[in-house]
Amino acid sequence: MSPRGGRKAGSGPVWVVLAVVLALALALAASRWSGTPTVAQRAAALDAVLKCPSCDGISVADSSASTAAAVRQVVLIRVREGQSDQQIEQYLVGRYGPSILLRPPTTGITAVVWVVPLVAAAGGLGGLALFFWRRRRPPTTVVTPEDRALVDQAMAENGPVAAPVAAGPGP
Amino acid sequence: MSTGPAPDAAPAVGPRRGRHTARWTAVASLVVMAALIALLATRPPAAATEVYTPLLGQQAPPVTATTLSGGRFHLAAYRGRWVVLNFFASWCPPCQDEEPDLVTFAYQHRAPGDAALIGVVYDDTTAAARAFERSSGATWPTVIDPGGQIALRYGVRGPPETFLISPSGTVVAHLDSAVTAADLDQQIAAARAAGL
Repeated sequence: MSPRGGRKAGSGPVWVVLAVVLALALALAASRWSGTPTVAQRAAALDAVLKCPSCDGISVADSSASTAAAVRQVVLIRVREGQSDQQIEQYLVGRYGPSILLRPPTTGITAVVWVVPLVAAAGGLGGLALFFWRRRRPPTTVVTPEDRALVDQAMAENGPVAAPVAAGPGP
Repeated sequence: MSTGPAPDAAPAVGPRRGRHTARWTAVASLVVMAALIALLATRPPAAATEVYTPLLGQQAPPVTATTLSGGRFHLAAYRGRWVVLNFFASWCPPCQDEEPDLVTFAYQHRAPGDAALIGVVYDDTTAAARAFERSSGATWPTVIDPGGQIALRYGVRGPPETFLISPSGTVVAHLDSAVTAADLDQQIAAARAAGL
């Protein structure tokens, strides 16, 4: 048997083991990603996007304030009751207003907070593009024979210049 | 090429004038700052501010709870009367400030069927709230709110917050910060005038 043939015969079980491990890993990942989240997972996900009512810009998940604890409790109760995330958010918005959401809704007046940064970014990029385009554009100034004559006259009056002046494009 | 001033140029007064402008600007800024500080330091305390709540115009969330004296309380039993629902805590300075005015309001509206004042303890111990109410002479029903679920139903962020509920059970006003008896009377009068 040739050495090459021997390697082929010996690597077979290794590939099988690797394939099994890979299949198991994919199956495990798929089961974790596509499985229905538990009550605790759903409540935790909601807590992370709800703003602590009495704090500055932190979620109820990250706050130890009593208001945050109250919100966590009501979220848990309503998740257990089978309410959807949207229903729970709507309930809290009906109490505290849209500011209870860490991520403002993309509809209504709060859509402004999404649109303004995009418009500002587009304007900024457009301005930069225009700036660089203008810089790269060749100068449109045309040196006329009269201009050249004026320069020659000035140079003749003031004597020779120390450094040569780069000649521009001819007319 | 010469860079010096022309012989017939005007005297160089630019830098001097610039220094004067800067000095006057600094003086003017200081005067404005001093005036602002004086204004803010001497003005009377901020009156209660009416703040938007999504509950405005909605039916007041139900309140069924235990009072500081151990009895049961049902907000629904107050239907037909103006109700002032006041969230407070003994540790909250503005709550301490408004307490004498709440006592005055309760006394002025002590007639049967008149406006009722209801306290809700916010993030405080029952003992501390009870001592606070006793020391101030409060006689109105005050309910405890373990877990802060009543406060959540009303969207309370921090005490003091006061809600005015119409005789039909609708939330008609939400006042942030300390209230006075005059504030409350004014809110009731405005709501009555609006036919609420």
